[in-house]
Amino acid sequence: MKRTTVAASLLAVLLSTLVCIAAPREVRLGYLRNDLHHLAAWVAMDRGFFRDEGINVEIAGIFNAGPEEMAAFASRSLDIGYLGVAPSATGLANGSARIRAVALANAEGSAVVVRKDSTIRAVRDLAGKTVAIPGYSSVQDFLLRKALEAAGMDPRKVNIIVMKPPEMIVALDGKQIDAFIAWEPHPSKAVTMGIGRTLISSPAIWKGHPCCVVAVDEQFYRVNPQVVKSFLRAHVRAMEYIRQNPEDAIRIGIKFTGMDGATVREAISHIQYHYFAREDDIKEYVTYLLKLGYIKSIIVDGFVREYLDLKMIKDIAH
Amino acid sequence: MELNVVDLQKAFSSTSESERIEAVRGVSFTVPGGRFVCVIGPSGCGKTTLLRMIAGLENPDRGRILLGDKEISAPVREIGYIFQEPTLLPWRTVLRNVEFGLEVAGVPLRERRQKAHAALELVELQDFKDFYPKEISGGMKQKVALAMALVVEPKVLLMDEPFVSLDCQTRNYMQVALLHLWEKTGKTIIFVTHNVEEAVFLGDDIICFTSRPAEIGKVLKVDIPRPRDRTSTELNASRKEILLFLAAEREKTRSVNGMFTQVRDLSEI
Amino acid sequence: MRYLPVFSVVVIWQVLSLSGVIPGNRLPSPVNIFLGFTELLTQGLPPGYGLAGHCAGSLKRVLGGVGVAIVTALPLGIAMGYWSRAREYLNPFVEMVRPVPPLAWVPIAILWFGIGDRSSSFVIFLGAFFPVLLNTIAGVLSINRRLIESSIILGASKKALFGKVLLPGAMPSIITGVRIALGIGWMTLVAAEFTGVKSGYGLGYMIMTARDIQRPDQIIAGMAIIGIIGYAMDFGIRIMENKILKWR
Repeated sequence: MKRTTVAASLLAVLLSTLVCIAAPREVRLGYLRNDLHHLAAWVAMDRGFFRDEGINVEIAGIFNAGPEEMAAFASRSLDIGYLGVAPSATGLANGSARIRAVALANAEGSAVVVRKDSTIRAVRDLAGKTVAIPGYSSVQDFLLRKALEAAGMDPRKVNIIVMKPPEMIVALDGKQIDAFIAWEPHPSKAVTMGIGRTLISSPAIWKGHPCCVVAVDEQFYRVNPQVVKSFLRAHVRAMEYIRQNPEDAIRIGIKFTGMDGATVREAISHIQYHYFAREDDIKEYVTYLLKLGYIKSIIVDGFVREYLDLKMIKDIAH
Repeated sequence: MELNVVDLQKAFSSTSESERIEAVRGVSFTVPGGRFVCVIGPSGCGKTTLLRMIAGLENPDRGRILLGDKEISAPVREIGYIFQEPTLLPWRTVLRNVEFGLEVAGVPLRERRQKAHAALELVELQDFKDFYPKEISGGMKQKVALAMALVVEPKVLLMDEPFVSLDCQTRNYMQVALLHLWEKTGKTIIFVTHNVEEAVFLGDDIICFTSRPAEIGKVLKVDIPRPRDRTSTELNASRKEILLFLAAEREKTRSVNGMFTQVRDLSEI
Repeated sequence: MRYLPVFSVVVIWQVLSLSGVIPGNRLPSPVNIFLGFTELLTQGLPPGYGLAGHCAGSLKRVLGGVGVAIVTALPLGIAMGYWSRAREYLNPFVEMVRPVPPLAWVPIAILWFGIGDRSSSFVIFLGAFFPVLLNTIAGVLSINRRLIESSIILGASKKALFGKVLLPGAMPSIITGVRIALGIGWMTLVAAEFTGVKSGYGLGYMIMTARDIQRPDQIIAGMAIIGIIGYAMDFGIRIMENKILKWR
């Protein structure tokens, strides 16, 4: 009697372990609301690439801003997330969450927008004007500074204020601000709405600059490397799909943002979907964060080596 | 200046709005200038309502009030009023309270101060001019109220049971003080009370009201010269007359429905 | 010592943080918070925007909004306290607007006033207006009717009555209302500033930046500063209250 019970329990344990191994692994995913930079994630979900790789992706959060997503990482609510280099690097440097950037999600895809009828024709005309940025230390903050410095201007000559991107278009239209810099689709939306025109965009400021990354919780990465690799394979496949099927990519973009076709089409045309991040670019960005005091006491090289881990993506690409 | 009250009538709707209760019915009397008249009657008979009408605080349903040949329909400075509880403004000192009536009349500061000082001397409270109301006793507060009323030089002073909340000895003292004031200033005083001893001690004429609705039941003249002896037989005789009248009125009340201020039956509790 | 309990809590907290029981990324240690505070003081956040400027910016908005609230609610409150008709007719408006949280007005405020001091002052005004109004009405209603009658008999005009009797008489209640209004205004301010501050100066704005660059130590240091200033303002009002109401 006793022997059968023991045997039965052992069998149950064995079976459940097998089931666990065989069943698709759960990944809690996060991304930013209406951010076309994260199109690869949406494509992978829509076309079933994650399922094909044997992983079960659950959307654990759709966030309004990078720092919010970092807070989710900090509270261990996310395993993998798409978000900007800015919040992920700043967060790791300031100790808010332990994450690794394992692939790029997109490059470029930001622009400075002024009112359609404004007299601002070049970056120097921004002197003394009010320009909205999505947040201090963001990539857009950096891009603006780079553009101002390239035009030989002192960034302090411009009145910079922080606003949420959705509110920027209204503020521009109502003459509350003279210009804004934000990520797609907001610049394209301003144009299709007939409110603004692009003054200068990413490729003209910093060609091929990194924008968003695929970040993974460090512990999850250590414990489930195979799952992460499977995820990245789906990510790469999605990137290729976007390149080869632009119209379907637009359809998926419309589906996940709810925006009109013209805006989505225009926005996607300005975004580069690459999955390789260039280490030097990341270093340049981190140096800027350090210089301005947004992060403290790190050694850039060592930090970037900790932050950026492209081993897997290099494996997959070959 | 004489005060004439002609055929006053006033009724109220009770809180349950179902009935109109007559408080004052057809009251007429005349008070010659400088007289001290007491008004007495059973509790809740409408004496206060009558006084408030004379002051202009309530409007009668019918009848008129005349001061000299001026008709009274709203509060006027010529008719002062002392309430049961002293109505001092708690945030002002004694002196500034006495000044109040002059202040709102636009009297300039120096004159105001002088007159207020004089009024305080009249009530013998000049040493307390910088005290706040919370720092002085009830009797003193009523004295301040008197000073406040007198400083605007009214012709008539209406007093609604002003000493009712004071203890016996203070009350007696205040009655004497009031008489001194009256003699010095010569104002016409109408003094409402339910205290018979007080009425006969103070008044020249005593108007006795019936129970509600108030009508004049009896008018007694007290010819006894002042200063009056509270214990004298003449005073006692007057007292007795009034006490008997009041007792008779109380009997009538019991057999009718009760006072409008009382709960009529248990279902209203 | 009166402050011993608070002190012990801080010490225990520091020990727990050092030993790792409280993870640093969830709740910074007291020492880190203090260091964050010194950075706010010396370097400013965003870098270059000093703490004094942030305090001044926020105080300007709050005092402006609360000031306008007092100036409008006082006369209206006295009128509504004195005339029951006014109460009857205006109460429906008051009771419909009052429950709406001031923050819900932010988008409309920005539409009407743009992004600047005026829109945040407006949101603060809405939060501060009702406590002052309601407390003024209650204060006037609590004045002994006899006092009012006596003042009228002594010759007070409506203007004198309002200014010399109703206003001082309702003052204890009014001051309570102002205290509450200032507290609500100060609390609302931080959230109001989250929506954008044109001048770049404001304590709520500072905290928002700390959140953007993920410095919880500075977020908490900022919160502590907001708390301390709020306490100081309330303390100041209580001292004024004791002076004004020394007659009680």
